[in-house]
Amino acid sequence: MDAAEKDTQLARPPGGGAEAGPADRSRRRFLEAVIAVFTSLIGIALAVPFLGTIVGSSYRAKKERLAKAASLAGLPVGRPVDMAYEETVSDGFLRGEAVRHVWVIKKSAAEVMVFSPICPHLGCRYDWDPGASLFKCPCHASVFKLDGTVVSGPAPRPLDTLPAEVRDGVLYVEWEQFEVGIPQKKQA
Amino acid sequence: MARGLWQWFEDRWPVSRVVRAVIVEDIPGGGSYWYTTGATVLFVFILQAVTGVCELFFYTPTVDHAYASLSFLRISVPYGWLIHNLHYWGATAMVVLVLVHVTQNYLWGAYKNPRQLTWILGVTLFLLTLLMMFTGSPLPWDEKGYWAVEVGTGIAGMTPFIGDFTKRLLQGGETMGQLTLTRFFILHVAILAGLLATVILIHLVSFRRGGSTGPWSESKRRRTGPFWPDQVLMDLVVACVVFVILVGLAAFVPPAYTGAADPTDPMFTPKPEWPFLFLYQALKLVPGPLEAAVALGLPLVLILLLLAWPFLDRRPERNPAKRPAAMAIYFAIFAVIVALSLIGGMSRPGASETLSARSAPSAPSAKPSAKAGQAAGADGAAIYQRLGCPSCHSINGTGGKVGPDLAAEKEKGRSADWLKDQFRDPRAHNASTVMPAFQLAPDEAEALASYLLGLTAKVPAAGPGGGAPAPSAAAGGPPAGAAGAAAPAKGQALAPQLIGNARHGALLFAGYCARCHGSRGRGGVANPGSTDGTVPPLAPIDRDLFDPAPDVFVSKIDRFPQHGSRPEGPDPSLSMPGFGDADALTQPQISHLEAYVLSLNDVARARIERPGVPPAAFFIIVAAVFGGLGIVGVGLAIRLKRRKWSADAEP
Repeated sequence: MDAAEKDTQLARPPGGGAEAGPADRSRRRFLEAVIAVFTSLIGIALAVPFLGTIVGSSYRAKKERLAKAASLAGLPVGRPVDMAYEETVSDGFLRGEAVRHVWVIKKSAAEVMVFSPICPHLGCRYDWDPGASLFKCPCHASVFKLDGTVVSGPAPRPLDTLPAEVRDGVLYVEWEQFEVGIPQKKQA
Repeated sequence: MARGLWQWFEDRWPVSRVVRAVIVEDIPGGGSYWYTTGATVLFVFILQAVTGVCELFFYTPTVDHAYASLSFLRISVPYGWLIHNLHYWGATAMVVLVLVHVTQNYLWGAYKNPRQLTWILGVTLFLLTLLMMFTGSPLPWDEKGYWAVEVGTGIAGMTPFIGDFTKRLLQGGETMGQLTLTRFFILHVAILAGLLATVILIHLVSFRRGGSTGPWSESKRRRTGPFWPDQVLMDLVVACVVFVILVGLAAFVPPAYTGAADPTDPMFTPKPEWPFLFLYQALKLVPGPLEAAVALGLPLVLILLLLAWPFLDRRPERNPAKRPAAMAIYFAIFAVIVALSLIGGMSRPGASETLSARSAPSAPSAKPSAKAGQAAGADGAAIYQRLGCPSCHSINGTGGKVGPDLAAEKEKGRSADWLKDQFRDPRAHNASTVMPAFQLAPDEAEALASYLLGLTAKVPAAGPGGGAPAPSAAAGGPPAGAAGAAAPAKGQALAPQLIGNARHGALLFAGYCARCHGSRGRGGVANPGSTDGTVPPLAPIDRDLFDPAPDVFVSKIDRFPQHGSRPEGPDPSLSMPGFGDADALTQPQISHLEAYVLSLNDVARARIERPGVPPAAFFIIVAAVFGGLGIVGVGLAIRLKRRKWSADAEP
């Protein structure tokens, strides 16, 4: 039995009835089209949520959340402070506390600048050199000014600032991480 | 290209022969909507497989994470609500449709020669479907599923001789816990699911082998109609209707959040899943010694009867009108099962009894328990409840753990006067106590004191779960921690991660919180010595604590029930005890209370954060697309029919 014969067998209406007329054939084709359409519809109606759950959960929800860091009251003005604070983080359905370190530079009672502690070059933790009044990264010797601009070294961009807000003298910071090694400040 | 590929496969595999086997069949009497029941079951099975696999991407089968991981899927994952709710309603739909399918085949006499094996496989599938539902129900490890399995394994445990063995095997020990969950999980997602898929396949092959049964009337059987595409289209139409209904149920009737499983919680009414309700109800009707016989005998007899039926009823006659005995037997059994299920479903095995008898502390309005019931004693017991004493104190282990157990006041040598002093001014005896002062009328104080002095301590006072109306979990066996496995350990403050049940919370609130925070948290209770002068109301709650986002709201208020708080002021007479720290409330219970407090402030604890497309909108889209295209299809079909007529008329 060759393929063509099988094909016609498949296409022939079963039941051993007489050869189908053109009207029968168009009816049959119509029914098959309807079946195809509705099967696809159910497929789509299931594929969208199925993929939606898996793809959607791979992207974090867009909610900007500032975490309470600390009171600004005791901080010196114009000098960076390594501030540690706790933040509730979620990993899937797990919730936990994470300790964040940020550099906080108080400019006035209501104005602050908050730097991510991660060097924009390759992700090392840089430090403040009070003698030179410069931020220095121990890994590849990038050097930054108090305002974060690069003085020397391989760092491709200034220090990354973090969104922050002062409410009633209390600092709120939004922790973010950025891709390192590129000139643009881009969320990792 | 496509042809070449087809040919390539065709040369190696019998592709077209398989396709023919699947779709080519003549149905005696032609296709019918009556014959769509099996295909609809198959459709729902596929739906269950797809949604089930998707749930597996998020579900974690451990007692401390199952509930939170499923809540996460339902609330924080786009379309997670749809996937879970479809799976939930699909389970119900599948059992219903299998019942319909079995009934239809019974009516048509499809079990008769030569289709006995197809019938037996069908009965097997029916049992597998029920087992899928049974093993699926505890997987969320919520109150409903936990107690359903507690009841279910309890029934299994009644088997003579092998009862204890069976129960242990199912539970993975003598009480429910992590091993139970793991076992049910593996049974549900691997063993039974695999068996179900395999037996469905064999059932289908067997069905094709025997051919469609068709109508019983010989005259109708003479004409035949094709399975493909005519019958398949009808199958698909019914599948689409079922699908749209399921999406509607998923969107508008989500399964309730009953709260994380809490083995120590006496307030949940344990009931099996609905297909097992008839058995549950039947058990209530028989006296004790017969219970085991009914619990196991009844389902066993029903199953054996179904399996053996093709051999008991061997007449070839298929017309239901000529099979009165078969019809009578079937519908009599069916009616009894439906009736028992309805009674079982509607019965409330003492939600209120439970409160008063087993967990009196939670119900200030509860009637004084009969055993304490002497005149003055009863009065004192009512006062004890009304004042909310059980929020902090327990009697023989039942009640709060903030203050001491009060069952042994007499043994401690306390006098009525000492107690009355304690009610009026607790700090007279202990300067650092957090117990509030109670201004009682002299006769009330007298009644309460004599009630307390009339109590007798049960020895030993504090066994594991002593007095706690816990399920078998508390009885003997594993170290204390095991019983609490479902209830997360103290201090972890897991409550904010658990979606509580506000209605359950309302009951707890009435028992533990209303005394100070007022009925429904409206406040107004005086707190002399505090800056505010009154206990803060919870409805509406302090604006600093409020947040429209339920998870943030909960995390802001959690510290109060967990650790308590001392109001500002020189000498507040009322301080909030730390119910979590004192183990007076379990973490799931605190989650219920938090859900209730949120609801008092018009925030739904279980609000979907990331729906993807919101439920109502999703249903409208699905209904509109299926409905719209359905109408278009019918319209086209009518036009085609007209054209055919005119084409027939032409020559």
